[in-house]
Amino acid sequence: MRESGESNERLVCAILAEQVSNLRDKMDASEAFDLLWQTSALLSWLSGLLTDMDRDASQASMLRDRERSEAIAKINTIRHQLDNLAFFQAQRQDFARQIADCVITALERMSSARMPEGTRFASADLAALYVSEDQRRLHEDVLTRLQAD
Amino acid sequence: MPTILVLDDSATMVMSLSHILKGAGYDVETGMNGREGITKLTDGVKPSVILTDLNMPELDGIGFIKEARKIVSARYTPIIVLTTESGGRKRDEARAAGASGWLTKPAEPNQLLSVVKQLCPVK
Repeated sequence: MRESGESNERLVCAILAEQVSNLRDKMDASEAFDLLWQTSALLSWLSGLLTDMDRDASQASMLRDRERSEAIAKINTIRHQLDNLAFFQAQRQDFARQIADCVITALERMSSARMPEGTRFASADLAALYVSEDQRRLHEDVLTRLQAD
Repeated sequence: MPTILVLDDSATMVMSLSHILKGAGYDVETGMNGREGITKLTDGVKPSVILTDLNMPELDGIGFIKEARKIVSARYTPIIVLTTESGGRKRDEARAAGASGWLTKPAEPNQLLSVVKQLCPVK
């Protein structure tokens, strides 16, 4: 009876590992990032174009010059913000991918495919899979909280 | 135009870093792990700066740095580690392997460019 329960748990681990692996593979948002960067590049081009038009304008117009300068400043601000946003999102996605990798590895090891019957997977084994201080800190926080309960 | 070699196993990170560096006037060569980085170097790519992640499949960042330092053309090339790892032990390990600097993710684009420009100004 116990053996059957254990093999069921191992089966669940194996299935969950595949599910998380599938989810991780879908996490790649390159197309969305590509669109952000294309927009950023377009804004950069527009800013340059406006600067060139400003330089080549034959007739001076204070109002038009001011509007053009404001437009260039606004374009550059938005472009800068888009670049920052894309870079931060890319790093956030990288964090998510890393923890997904960690969960997949842990589940695979807990499944029948990777561990002999009766073997246990300890929290220290999980901690050995971490690749960032954030992951280790959270792990320690959870251990402390559970031990206090 | 100076070349920067970017190594990261995340396609999104590679694209993101490439975009930022190209926008600042650099040529960018990329690889998805340390092994691809070594292949680039032995194929004749001569980067002015190398940006590498630590946790990569096949050959990780530390392994890459050790192997890159054996290649004559890359012996003195600045290698910056860009990683989520912020632990002192890993940092010491990277320094001992031959890393020149360390940036912890999440980093800001300006922070990254400031380091790269210090090592390799764009003319």
